[in-house]
Amino acid sequence: MQSPVKIWRNQKNIAQLLGKTGMIISWTLVRVPPGDFMDQAPYPVVLVELEGGKRIEAQLVDWNSAHLVFGTKVKTVVRRVMHPDPDGVIPYGIKVKPVS
Amino acid sequence: MKTFVAGVATTKFGELWSASPRGLARLAVFGALKDADIDSKDVQALFVGNMLSGMLGGQEHLGAFFAEELGLSVPAFKIEGACASGGLAIHNAVNSLMSGQYETVVVLGIEKMTDHKPEDVATALMGAGSEEERLAGATFPGLYAILARVHMREFGTTEEDMAAVAVKNHYHATLNPNAQFHTAVTVDQVMRSSKVADPLKLLDCSPISDGAAAVVLSTKRTKRSVEVIASVVATDTLGLAQRKSLTELSATQKASEKAYTLAGMDAKDIDVAEVHDCFTIAEILATEDLGFFPKGKAASAIQRGSATIGKAKRVVVNPSGGLKGCGHPVGATGVKQIAELVEQLRGNAGARQVKKARVGLAHNVGGSGATAVVHILEI
Repeated sequence: MQSPVKIWRNQKNIAQLLGKTGMIISWTLVRVPPGDFMDQAPYPVVLVELEGGKRIEAQLVDWNSAHLVFGTKVKTVVRRVMHPDPDGVIPYGIKVKPVS
Repeated sequence: MKTFVAGVATTKFGELWSASPRGLARLAVFGALKDADIDSKDVQALFVGNMLSGMLGGQEHLGAFFAEELGLSVPAFKIEGACASGGLAIHNAVNSLMSGQYETVVVLGIEKMTDHKPEDVATALMGAGSEEERLAGATFPGLYAILARVHMREFGTTEEDMAAVAVKNHYHATLNPNAQFHTAVTVDQVMRSSKVADPLKLLDCSPISDGAAAVVLSTKRTKRSVEVIASVVATDTLGLAQRKSLTELSATQKASEKAYTLAGMDAKDIDVAEVHDCFTIAEILATEDLGFFPKGKAASAIQRGSATIGKAKRVVVNPSGGLKGCGHPVGATGVKQIAELVEQLRGNAGARQVKKARVGLAHNVGGSGATAVVHILEI
């Protein structure tokens, strides 16, 4: 259940994580997704260690299979997380993309 | 104060479209009371282990709901701890006896999952993870796949090694009349099953299941009762990103270390164990973290038959078929594990009987290791 208030409250967390780089320390390729992610599967979910040591879990975008290895360098970006529900507030969040 | 399991019952696990939660609860609870030879009017409290009734069924308030259905006008509680809800319910029931508040209580573990679409069940199960994991589109197979990938890199564990866990647990399930699956599988079949979250495949994953289990707990010893000699809960971070280590579930280690201390025992004293194999990698992690095998060595040991009925020299792991073969109605699993151990320790387990089993251990996990519950039982 999406909440516009919760989406709004999360905006500052997104800003704090923007523009960070790190590397993939583990990954999977989700082929059987939760309902809100049906149109995106299959997609990689990666565990990333950011510079400074903080770890995050995020979807990998703009990827190909060569990126799904230990040590791939990535950076954090803003993306739409899932389809908006009928309230129409778009849920944005952090995903990561390979650094070429 | 000592606590004893006086009676147990488990329903068939599986895709039970014709069964309602009410009907499953009656079968399990009245079965356990009959097994204990205790009248329902002597029950003083009801503890219900369940995770998803609100998100999937729209029914909360499960304590009163099942108390009404069972005709028990007693204090009743729903205990929730994701897939460890059943184990947590047992722990709370044990505590209520230890406190002197009650002398006889019933624990019901129950879940109805197959009435709903798989993507809705996957969404609901992600309630056990962190917000960050939900926004990443992660699933539980995906989270355990991330742990598997690290285990493979650190210890050389292979996909075939993981498949051997499914082969063992499906074999054990063929010996259990209440199991969801009565089909043996081969490593090759596991390897060729469709991918769910790489490197985990369909046959690496426990199924979506319906089912219920119940146990009657009492402060009085009877001829057929089994003593609960340790009941311990530990917690860890909800999400994987906040964990110190990805090659172990530290909640399992913490809970089992304390349980062994309370019981005055060691891992080598356990004859039979029901462990939380929601995925094949999870049994490998569990049997290492519980101290049955050294870190990094469980996969090859399980593959050699070191945890299989009739072959194991020490502990037999998941004689019921585990979550993988017996099925995983999430709130029921932790209670079913206790019911299985009681049958094993009484020597009533039929074709899947572990010979000379005197001490049993149950290990129930919530989420990707955020809750771990360990019980040790002795006859």
